[in-house]
Amino acid sequence: MFISGFFYIIAETIKGIYRNRWMCITSTGVVIVTLLMLGVFMLVNLNIRHITDAVKEQVEIVVYIDEQADQETRDQLGLRLSTHSAVKEALYVSSEEHLARLQRQLGGMLEGYDTNLDNPLLASYEVRTVVPESVVALAEEFETYPGVSAVFYGQGYVENLFAVTGVLQLVGLALMAGLSITAVFLISHTIKLTVMMRKREISIMKYVGATNWFIRWPFVLEGLLMGFVGAVLPLAGLYYLYQFSVEWVTVNNLVFLTLLPTQLVIIELAKYLVPLGTGLGMLGSIFSMGRFLKV
Amino acid sequence: MVEAKNMCMKYEKGGRYALEGLNFFIDRGEFAFFVGSSGAGKSTLLKLIIREIKPTDGTLKIFGRDVARLPRHRLPYLRRNIGMVFQDFRLMEERSAFDNVAFAMIVTGASRKDIRKRVPHVLGLVGLQDKAKTRVCDLSGGEQQRVGLARAIANRPAMIIADEPTGNLDPGTTLDIMNLLRSINLRGTTVLIATHNREIVDRFKKRVLYLDGGKLVGDEQKGIYTHVH
Repeated sequence: MFISGFFYIIAETIKGIYRNRWMCITSTGVVIVTLLMLGVFMLVNLNIRHITDAVKEQVEIVVYIDEQADQETRDQLGLRLSTHSAVKEALYVSSEEHLARLQRQLGGMLEGYDTNLDNPLLASYEVRTVVPESVVALAEEFETYPGVSAVFYGQGYVENLFAVTGVLQLVGLALMAGLSITAVFLISHTIKLTVMMRKREISIMKYVGATNWFIRWPFVLEGLLMGFVGAVLPLAGLYYLYQFSVEWVTVNNLVFLTLLPTQLVIIELAKYLVPLGTGLGMLGSIFSMGRFLKV
Repeated sequence: MVEAKNMCMKYEKGGRYALEGLNFFIDRGEFAFFVGSSGAGKSTLLKLIIREIKPTDGTLKIFGRDVARLPRHRLPYLRRNIGMVFQDFRLMEERSAFDNVAFAMIVTGASRKDIRKRVPHVLGLVGLQDKAKTRVCDLSGGEQQRVGLARAIANRPAMIIADEPTGNLDPGTTLDIMNLLRSINLRGTTVLIATHNREIVDRFKKRVLYLDGGKLVGDEQKGIYTHVH
């Protein structure tokens, strides 16, 4: 029974696809177009997130050390900053190093300054935080530490940066959720149409005594195959499209556009699109059949 | 085999009865006609027998079991014991005659060997041994109904029910199909036919149960349509 039924189901799936090839091609086409749209948007969204994360990574707090602070206070401050749970890295920059940086930036304009006698710059700690968004709160906290002269983190600019990136990510998420829901709706309705075209066949199967699962399996496998092909083809297309974009960005030397590596992005996309396609194909078939199985 | 006790059926709550207070018993091996005009309740009765619908009142026992109490997952097993023949044949038109008959066996879990042996045999019984590979849509109406009959008997069911089996056929083919049903009955299979074909009922002189407005108004052994009416 099992073997005969198993071969029947496999054979029926193949025959079913062949007999209804135009409907299957149409349904798969809808899945491809829908998932391609979703995939393109996901690519854009992933890279926007990557770029905004990279920008946020550069945000740091500069904690200037009070000139009057003794060595013990300076050491204590360094220890407190570097062991703080919200701090990723606290780098000590001496006043001499600050001056050297300035000299490098301004070229020969500061020549003649004696770095030991005329240096007006304060030593500091350059602090990178674990969560970039926490800089404002942390800066306020660091200001209260003994031995701190001033704290700078790009006040005004940083708040705007976070607001913009926050909105970008929120809009991205909302659009992705919207597109995913559209994909679910479109794919499940297309599968439903495929099943509806064959409701007569299903009712005949019921009358001759087929169990619901015996009827469902070929449809479920068909839905799964349509969903799988409908997910893999856009993935292949997106791979070449994205690879081309990455090369174009490199050739045109657009350094501000740091795109994610192709392989990483395609794997991320596959993790989402393949289960979505196959899952919707399968579940779409199961749920669409419910009504016709109540004979 | 089929026993109805005060059985009623309403499609809608508060609506009129499609069948009302039916009492009858059909024994194993009987040949019976359910007759009546359109809307009399013949098709509803057949739907109740295959448990497509449940009686709203009273009981209907098939093979000694109350069909209303039969769990949904047991339905396929009930239907495998009842061969169904329809007016519109209900065949899978794009498939061959062989595939249509084989399908009824595949769902029961029959082995490939049994299917290869049994299907040509039943197609032979209905005179279609040469058309096994022909697609159903390329067969005539009479031939399609023969395929329907072959499918109905493929699993050696205890009962055949036929809903207007000759409704779409010419008189000559009608007689052929009826003779086939009679020969199936002679082998011990119970045959129940819903029809309003007066000529056939009168010619065969079998048990006739007359339905009118959802009620059983006549039940006669060796009856003829006109008498019962």
